[in-house]
Amino acid sequence: MKFAPLVLKHLRKNWIRTLSTVLAMSVCIFLICVLQTVIAAVNFGLNAGSTRRLVVRDYVSLANNLPMSYKQKIAGIPGVTDTTIVSWFGGVYRDPKNFFANLAVEPEAFLRIYPEVMLPPDQKATWLSDVRGAIIGRKLAQRFGWKIGDHVQLESFIPPYRVGKPFDFVVDGIYDTDEARYPGTDLSSMYFNFKYLYEATGQRVGIGTLTAQIDDPSRAGAMSKTIDETFDNSDNPTKTETEQAFRASFVALAGNLALLLNVIGMAVAFTILLVTANTMSIAVRERQQEIAVLKTLGFPSMLVMTLILSEALLLGLMGGLLGILFARGMIAVLVNVPFLGDILRSFPSLGLSPQIASLGIGMALLLGLLAGFIPAILAYRARITEALRQV
Amino acid sequence: MATTEVAAKTGAVSVQNVVKVYQRDSQQITVLDGLSLEVPQGEFLALMGPSGSGKTTLLNLIAGIDSATSGKVVVAGTDLTPLSEGELAKWRSRNVGFIFQFYNLIPVLNAVENVELPLLLSHLSSKERRERALTALRIVGLADRSKHYPRQLSGGQEQRVAIARAIVTDPSVLVADEPTGDLDSKSAEEILDLMQTFNKEFGKTIVMVTHDPRAASRAHTQRHLEKGVLTT
Repeated sequence: MKFAPLVLKHLRKNWIRTLSTVLAMSVCIFLICVLQTVIAAVNFGLNAGSTRRLVVRDYVSLANNLPMSYKQKIAGIPGVTDTTIVSWFGGVYRDPKNFFANLAVEPEAFLRIYPEVMLPPDQKATWLSDVRGAIIGRKLAQRFGWKIGDHVQLESFIPPYRVGKPFDFVVDGIYDTDEARYPGTDLSSMYFNFKYLYEATGQRVGIGTLTAQIDDPSRAGAMSKTIDETFDNSDNPTKTETEQAFRASFVALAGNLALLLNVIGMAVAFTILLVTANTMSIAVRERQQEIAVLKTLGFPSMLVMTLILSEALLLGLMGGLLGILFARGMIAVLVNVPFLGDILRSFPSLGLSPQIASLGIGMALLLGLLAGFIPAILAYRARITEALRQV
Repeated sequence: MATTEVAAKTGAVSVQNVVKVYQRDSQQITVLDGLSLEVPQGEFLALMGPSGSGKTTLLNLIAGIDSATSGKVVVAGTDLTPLSEGELAKWRSRNVGFIFQFYNLIPVLNAVENVELPLLLSHLSSKERRERALTALRIVGLADRSKHYPRQLSGGQEQRVAIARAIVTDPSVLVADEPTGDLDSKSAEEILDLMQTFNKEFGKTIVMVTHDPRAASRAHTQRHLEKGVLTT
């Protein structure tokens, strides 16, 4: 600690250089933290799916509905224990900016297959008996200030679901979940009775997707194949996959997205590393004489090297902390950005986690260490007589 | 280090048949050629000679910041020849004070912090370090400038701070490389007065390299080097 003033005073002396280096470092850490947070949120959402649930949809496009008769056929396949329709309604609440997922389901089967959707018994009973009823996630209720009994009107942008006027739903329940048992459960969605949609559209709509619960998760692949083979030669062949795979495809190339984001993060980090290393090299080169004086006074080479490295690490630490602050601010701001924020909010657990913050600090320290390493080695090796001759 | 300690019978500095050869590209340049020199305890020695004669090289060997190609250098009772770089650093921090021509103060530290610098390597508490540094500044007459940064001091004052830094660990040997070379005559006289005081009143052995005959005249002994050999 007694050498700390020496390190701090050097950083303060060239405060513009220190500030610009810290800012450069902070931008790098900020980017890494924000990108990692988005990736983590996407992955968290993807991994939240149950391995016992298969999603059946039209082979060609999600926009095509499956015939209603498929439900019974799929339910009859050995190994399938339960089924529910889950149709994306695409309802808009007042303004497209108020985006949230709203899906038509079969309430009883849905609550059996999705135990993570938890409702108080009285609310559950109300919903099961109310065709126009809907349940909403706790976060969605908080977002719009909706309460039990409120009427919510949604108008779908999907042509078959447009009936000339908005659908009127009654909030029958506000669902929550057990975060410990079901981490990543989405609490920002709305579920309503498919029967309401079916009747209101003149019984003309089919199944958007069908969730089939299977008895043995290890046979998910074989079961998917069996279901798809059942409809191979029909007018509407199906595509069946696990819920996780379905979500992954839904998040549009999530794997490649993560790779792309990571590559961008690494490229930025490498650039900052070069900039910081250059700054540190200049700082050390300017101090050749001082390094020689310290060594003349008896400072061991290792101590001189440590002082230079400490300076670099301190720059890294300051940049890291600042970057994390920026990242926290940015994530808080992003979720309030129109449209983008709606998408981000649909990912459960979007927030700067301690793990990602630690990763940011670790990266910043590593960058500082790498940037300071060569200058520190140069300081270690500097020969007193040669350095003094440069005066 | 104990194994290399030598009884200081021969004086504060004993340079015995030292050869120093520098390798520059493919050329070998002999700077000191079998030089021997004895400096008794409490001596004030001025080393003179033309540029390139090897004065600074000899001073560096005595200060333990360079090592001889062959021969033996014994300073303050320690044979420096077999010491590693780390051991030499430790030895320097305790036994030798260095005064540079261009003062070489650390610009980001104020006067008292500059003087305190060598004490950071000791086990003294922060309070003790500060007290000793202030005492050294008082001795060189700069107690009232303790919070001033080098850029706020005159050349003479900077050199006095550098001298305070050189004596703060109470070394037995002071080496000075052209200590008045960058000063006006008045400041130079003040610095030489100070050095004489340290020599006479505190018994410090001083080895000073200088081109200035007036500075050399303050020393007890003057030796001349030419082409790596002592001529007088």
